Amino acid sequence: MSDAKKPPNERLPEAEAIERAKQGDASAFEHLYNLHKRRVYSLCLRMTANTAAAEDLTQEAFLQLFRKIGTFRGESAFSTWLHRMAVNVVLMQLRKKGLAVVPIEETMGGEEESPKKEPGADDIRLAGSIDRLQLQNAIGELPPGYRTIFLLHDVEGYEHNEIAEMVGCSIGNSKSQLHKARMKLRELLKTSRAEKATRP
Amino acid sequence: MTCQEFERVLTELAGEFSFEQERHLRTCLSCSELMSDLRAISQQAQFLSEDAEPSPRVWNAIDITLRQEGLIHDSSPVRSAPPGWSRWRPVWLVPALATALVISGVILHQRTKTAPATVSQVAASLQSPESTMVPEEEQLLKLVATQAPALRASYESDLRAVDAYIRDAESSVRSNPNDEVAQEYLMNAYEQRAMVYEMAMDRSQP
Amino acid sequence: MQKRARVAKVAVVFLLVGAAFAADEIRNEYHFKVHRHASVSIINQYGPISVRPTLGNQVIVTVILHSDKVKVEQGQGGNRVSVVSHVLPGADAESGRADFEVLVPADANVTLHSTTGPLRAEKLHGDVILEGNTANVDVRDLSDGHVHVKTLNGPVTLTNVSDGHVEITSISGDVALKAVNGPLVHVNSTSGRILYDGDFGDGGEYSLMTHSGDIDATAPSYASIDVVASSQQGKVENDFPLQPAHSSFAAKAGSAFSGTMGKAASSVKLLSFSGKIHLKKRNISDNR
Repeated sequence: MSDAKKPPNERLPEAEAIERAKQGDASAFEHLYNLHKRRVYSLCLRMTANTAAAEDLTQEAFLQLFRKIGTFRGESAFSTWLHRMAVNVVLMQLRKKGLAVVPIEETMGGEEESPKKEPGADDIRLAGSIDRLQLQNAIGELPPGYRTIFLLHDVEGYEHNEIAEMVGCSIGNSKSQLHKARMKLRELLKTSRAEKATRP
Repeated sequence: MTCQEFERVLTELAGEFSFEQERHLRTCLSCSELMSDLRAISQQAQFLSEDAEPSPRVWNAIDITLRQEGLIHDSSPVRSAPPGWSRWRPVWLVPALATALVISGVILHQRTKTAPATVSQVAASLQSPESTMVPEEEQLLKLVATQAPALRASYESDLRAVDAYIRDAESSVRSNPNDEVAQEYLMNAYEQRAMVYEMAMDRSQP
Repeated sequence: MQKRARVAKVAVVFLLVGAAFAADEIRNEYHFKVHRHASVSIINQYGPISVRPTLGNQVIVTVILHSDKVKVEQGQGGNRVSVVSHVLPGADAESGRADFEVLVPADANVTLHSTTGPLRAEKLHGDVILEGNTANVDVRDLSDGHVHVKTLNGPVTLTNVSDGHVEITSISGDVALKAVNGPLVHVNSTSGRILYDGDFGDGGEYSLMTHSGDIDATAPSYASIDVVASSQQGKVENDFPLQPAHSSFAAKAGSAFSGTMGKAASSVKLLSFSGKIHLKKRNISDNR
């Protein structure tokens, strides 16, 4: 097929782009990158809460993907394969930084068990009216360990057995920490709403 | 059932409640609101947007690295490669070929006295003479000269320094293929060159 | 009447001076409200960027533009603040210069890019990423955060940085680390000189690596390290009596030494391909 008759990259089916990328086609690589960059970057950004780190990790995830693309046989969806790779890259980085990827089995102190409550926060109701931007901000304020489990389960859709394998904890611990993360988010959202309500 | 007992079992619940738990939820406003809030948080989390986009530098860095590793090449004539730009390279050229050449060079050297010449010929094919640069580097310097002319001289000096580093590191790996320190030097040298490329490309963007 | 006339003349003078100042330089200030762990990114081709902490949940960016040939674009998306200076056609390093003073919450994650710099960050606890070509990079009194520095030719100085990961990559700029400790300290240079003056704090991984630059590491006699030093073509010197090494390191070429001190809590690698390496003992009387 002559180059002049090639369809524009925007219309290139993913499967064809993968095959071309295996042959080293630069435009195919770029097409795959453009198809998946937002999802990977959003994942990295949420898990690190840092744009520069998220960009570095996005770069690393795609580099790993492209180096291994020759081994992709289509057993799973390409996006699933890439996503899993991105999660592993982020988890490795968090481990390298010494951050709590694996949430501690037993909490160290009262701070995480019973977070301080803002006056009036108990009176605030949330159900049915959670603002996504507030939720995003609240996720950014979670301790790293809670944030990891919450993002992997509730945002990215991994099951507890998958999470346990990825982060190296027990299934029970994953469930327990997810519950604590949600409780903490509830508290943060209520506090945020209480602050808004008391603002003149 | 008390509220504390209910919350204790919450971690295991997946939407299926026992009769006692159902009854507690029906009668306890606080726990009912708690369940409602937690469900809402979990459901809303699924719809968090994925519209954040990395800056163009991310793709630039990926592109540069993959080209340096010989994993990609331009195929479309519309995106015609600048003259002299390398069209095709074997995959994993620098680290894997260097290692393979080291091994073959060592074997040849052990078998015959002419092997050192073969190794040196191979080494010469990988190396650029000090006074000239490889075509990709010339292209990069042209790009820098167009966008930031005052920086061209320093980029050229940096590239020469890094090339010298790579030459020495490759030579070291050739001599001691199993030496981890030599391999670490080589990887560091590649990283340094990748950084020069990355920064040159960044500075060349408007 | 005379007094009034004199006041009027002074006022006119002030106005004229002010106008002259305004004609050359333009000062802008931007305020952003942020939450914890905000991300702040400043990209500035020509000119200094200085970042310091401030109280409260706000980011304050003060920028002085040296001519009308440089513009600033600023924006905020959620907890991310981005300020970029754009140099217009015809500008040079002087007319395109913008001077940034940035105040951020101490836990903010900060990214600074400048071709000429200098770049300065102090007293922060978040991640700090600094990138420059010839920019002089000066980082001091940071703790807990990740510190990444990339420079081609600019000198890098880190002072009193602790408890985070430090990664510095320089082509020819010298790198000086004073009282820098942490779980990971990596410096990678092509021809820049590397100076370390600290105690290689407990349990860290320290790697100082250069192609042709020299490495001078000064440590106290109580340092607890497992050290490996090697130069393929340069000289290596050691002021310490080392115990036999835990690892079976043996340099394949050139000069080398290895061994342990104290409990060997931290691992230290000093590698220069052709430069000199000197592991010096700090005298107790030295003021640090």
